[in-house]
Amino acid sequence: MTDYGHDLLFGSFITPGNAAPERVVGLAQISERVGLDLATFQDHPYQPSFLDTWTLLSYVAARTEHITLAPNVANLPLRPPAVLARSVASLDLLSGGRVELGLGAGGFWDAIEAMGGRRLTPGQGVDALREAIAVIRALWDTGERARVDLPGDYWPLAGAKRGPAPAHPVGIWVGAYKPRMLRLTGEHADGWLPSLPYLSSLQDLDDGNARIDDAAQAAGRDPRAVRRLLNVGGQLSARRSPNLLAGPPEQWVEQLAVLALEHGTSGFIATGDDPTLLTVLGQEIAPAVRELVAAERGGSAGVAPAAVVAGEA
Amino acid sequence: MDLGHPLRLGVQLTPRAADPGAAARLARRAEDLGLDLVVVADAPVGEPGLDAWTVVGSVAGATERVDLATRGLRLDDRPPAVLARAVASLDLLAGGRVTLGLAADPADGTDPDEALDALAEGVDVLRGVWAAAEPGPLVHEGRHHHVPGAQRGPAPAHDLALWLDGGADVAGSRALAARVADGWWLPGLATSGRDDVLREQAALDADLAAAGRDPREVRRGLVLDAAAGADALAALVLDAGVGTLVLAVADEAALAAFAADVAPALRERVAAERAARGTRVGTVRRAAVRAARVPGIDYDAVPASLVGTAVEPGDARYAAVRSTYLRGGRPGLVLRPGSTAEVVEALAYARAQDVPLAVRSGGHGISGRSTNVGGIVLDLSRMHAIEVLDVATRRVRIQPGARWGEVAAALHPYGWALTSGDYGGVGVGGLATAGGIGFLVRAHGLTLDHLRAAEVVLADGSVVRTSADEHPDLFWGVRGAGANLGIVTSFEFEVDEVGDVGFAQLVLDATDTEQFLVDYGATLEAAPRDTTAFLIMGPPRDGTVVAQIMAMVDSDDPETIVERLTPFARIAPLLQQQVQVVPYPAVVSTPQRHFSEGEPVTRTGMAEHLTPELAADAARLVRSGATPFFQIRAAGGAVHDVPADATAYAHRSANFSIVAMGTSRRRIDAIWDAMAHHFDGAYLSFETDPRPERLGDVYPGATLERLRGLKRRYDPEDVFRHNYSVAEPPAVVL
Repeated sequence: MTDYGHDLLFGSFITPGNAAPERVVGLAQISERVGLDLATFQDHPYQPSFLDTWTLLSYVAARTEHITLAPNVANLPLRPPAVLARSVASLDLLSGGRVELGLGAGGFWDAIEAMGGRRLTPGQGVDALREAIAVIRALWDTGERARVDLPGDYWPLAGAKRGPAPAHPVGIWVGAYKPRMLRLTGEHADGWLPSLPYLSSLQDLDDGNARIDDAAQAAGRDPRAVRRLLNVGGQLSARRSPNLLAGPPEQWVEQLAVLALEHGTSGFIATGDDPTLLTVLGQEIAPAVRELVAAERGGSAGVAPAAVVAGEA
Repeated sequence: MDLGHPLRLGVQLTPRAADPGAAARLARRAEDLGLDLVVVADAPVGEPGLDAWTVVGSVAGATERVDLATRGLRLDDRPPAVLARAVASLDLLAGGRVTLGLAADPADGTDPDEALDALAEGVDVLRGVWAAAEPGPLVHEGRHHHVPGAQRGPAPAHDLALWLDGGADVAGSRALAARVADGWWLPGLATSGRDDVLREQAALDADLAAAGRDPREVRRGLVLDAAAGADALAALVLDAGVGTLVLAVADEAALAAFAADVAPALRERVAAERAARGTRVGTVRRAAVRAARVPGIDYDAVPASLVGTAVEPGDARYAAVRSTYLRGGRPGLVLRPGSTAEVVEALAYARAQDVPLAVRSGGHGISGRSTNVGGIVLDLSRMHAIEVLDVATRRVRIQPGARWGEVAAALHPYGWALTSGDYGGVGVGGLATAGGIGFLVRAHGLTLDHLRAAEVVLADGSVVRTSADEHPDLFWGVRGAGANLGIVTSFEFEVDEVGDVGFAQLVLDATDTEQFLVDYGATLEAAPRDTTAFLIMGPPRDGTVVAQIMAMVDSDDPETIVERLTPFARIAPLLQQQVQVVPYPAVVSTPQRHFSEGEPVTRTGMAEHLTPELAADAARLVRSGATPFFQIRAAGGAVHDVPADATAYAHRSANFSIVAMGTSRRRIDAIWDAMAHHFDGAYLSFETDPRPERLGDVYPGATLERLRGLKRRYDPEDVFRHNYSVAEPPAVVL
């Protein structure tokens, strides 16, 4: 039973297909219109039927006004961290602080290698991600004047100039499942962003939270420094069902509140590219979940301090 | 010397982190001021400015019309295969407004020669990824870039130009540009004077000659650090071959002054002088592209507004536009107008060429020949806007290039739908001018029954609005024979309120095929109008004939849905079933585009009932194996509410539209001709029999007579003959 007390975020997980780009942009605009907090796009740069996720985010930022945007999650092996850091900071500046960075170690190595990326073992992937997070944070840190020297096996930096700094403390949300990735998330990340279909049960969610908490504490961090988000799929239907998120809005509200109050999840990102679902999520489900969770929390833990949620402690 | 490149005026901005909003502000201002181009320069080496690619993406989102270019973008740390997809993506998002400018400007310590080599390899990778239709994956094993086998695509939305810049090694970069680029930024600023520009131009021309290229293949751009007078700039265009001039300014006042005081005079001077000299304005495509041209088309005369998006046989995008859903083609030129005015220009141009003309909306047509061999295709896919005109009356304006899956997705948030077909990839223009027998046909009628007005480009280039009150004769004809009368550039429909729907796929054992068909026909005719079903059968397998019924119930009430479907499930042993309550767009979703080779072979017939005699012949046809795809669509219900003479779609008493696809024309014709007595009419969109008597099936008696009158009036020269021409003598064009 865990509740980290973060304020709740609701968002969309959008497939960036390039057959009808205006539809993809439209889903982000619908997300904003119906009051969702986040519009996120999966990132598979080796997939020729997809729009390039970073380019899409840049474009969508100019076609929206207040919704927060993020890759979900950026494919590190094909998005070298120095360019990524500057791109994220640039878009955060251009959008008035509306960008967060979902980041993953990469998984489809055949496809990554085919595009010119370096094939890594899962263990190397974790190490490369750790280096990349250090690179990104160093380049964003314009409080320091000295150039950045970060020796490394994967993403070394030698004498790199810092900057630009993002407009707000951009959170790095890591897509993690296995123990080493979870440990890295606890040690270095600002958020955990798995997909529910990749978890075998809610027990996996609790186990992941526990690993992240342990790693954070061992690194001297408050576990609340790591927001827990979740990509969730589901269906709206007229009748209740015994399944998770397959039923009427009331069932969604109850189950999302349980995820928030008992499993620590504070960010719910809906897959499926379904405008109806996004509309109901933003207009009906999200306000009701917020109300229910606030009541359960007794009003005391409704909002986490921003600094704890966003930047590294 | 004037190279005749279209004069393009713009602004160059160098985004700074200190004022991130400036880029979009300046770009929007440039667009409002009527400038052509916004150039985003990469930050100088070592300066942590904003990421230029991110800025371009965001500027694209902030603008609607103006063209966008990077300048001097460095490939360092950007895997070129990923950048290729990024650039193509932005071009798709921005509707073909993107130009990519690269430079070899190495970070500290890198040898300039190596940087140039890396850039040259990068260009190969970029173009290789964009060549989406090339067979096989892209393999590039270079010294700088290793791409072991990337999947190709997407192709950019237009023939995307690649420009190079001087960088660290001007002479080397220029030589590279002469080999591979579409444009070259002349080094130095205009303040260096006309003679310096001439010297630079001569150097590039020498390199181009060495590379065997025409000087006009490479556009020349110049960045001005201050606005010179119109006369001086006109001299750069008319005497020194510069076609693209951009002003590097940071403040809107200077930009506004340039646009107001210099640009109009400059444009006027250049236009007047070019007219006086007889200079041909346009760009010259690469030699390899020119070599792939076909006779009979004056490529140099393509109107300027269409040049940028036109596709020729040698272009990277050609493979993506040459064929349609079921038909292979090899057109000599595909014009892709983006507006009604451009359709008018394209049509006038095409009429002046002595080659076949085809008009394409979604490219799904089976009867409509929306591709050809050696001719011109007028492809309307860029005109795909969907706009709600009035919520209260559910009036929606849709352009012909939208596809029905996009329409379904766009209307769904309003709780609306417009019945179309059974496939989201079909284009609006072809279907809405022919009929439209979709999953809601019995509840809502034909698609064309929802048409309230249309804008039509006629053969003579005039643009008319047609409705019940405006050119009512044309409005009658557009609804059923639109392809014969003009090019509809916008449709106004009254759409329906549609909530979630029941959608079922039932698989039944139809081995007793004759009885099955009779029962199926009776069941469908007895069903309430909220229920529409389509039946598909294929050849028997191991003696078993399997029937697939796809049925939609216009209701989200599970009990109603089950009640409606149960009679269908009881016709024969049920092998599989899937029933869902889904949003309408989930059934009519937008697929990827399809490309084919060859020619489809189909026959169609309209029938009032599935009589035992028709069922017996159809059963024999199915069992013969001659048709891999035999479909019976519901075509009645609300369709019957409209009198047969109210539109050019005359088959108002039919309950069924039947189509058999074949592999052999002779074999299917022999069977189908013998079945002719069962049918009363044929459905235009699925018929491919070229024999003249089919015209009378598609447009029976009085309908054909009336259409011939319209043809004489609106298209006397039979320009629009690619989809069962009604002209006399009938000209069915293959």
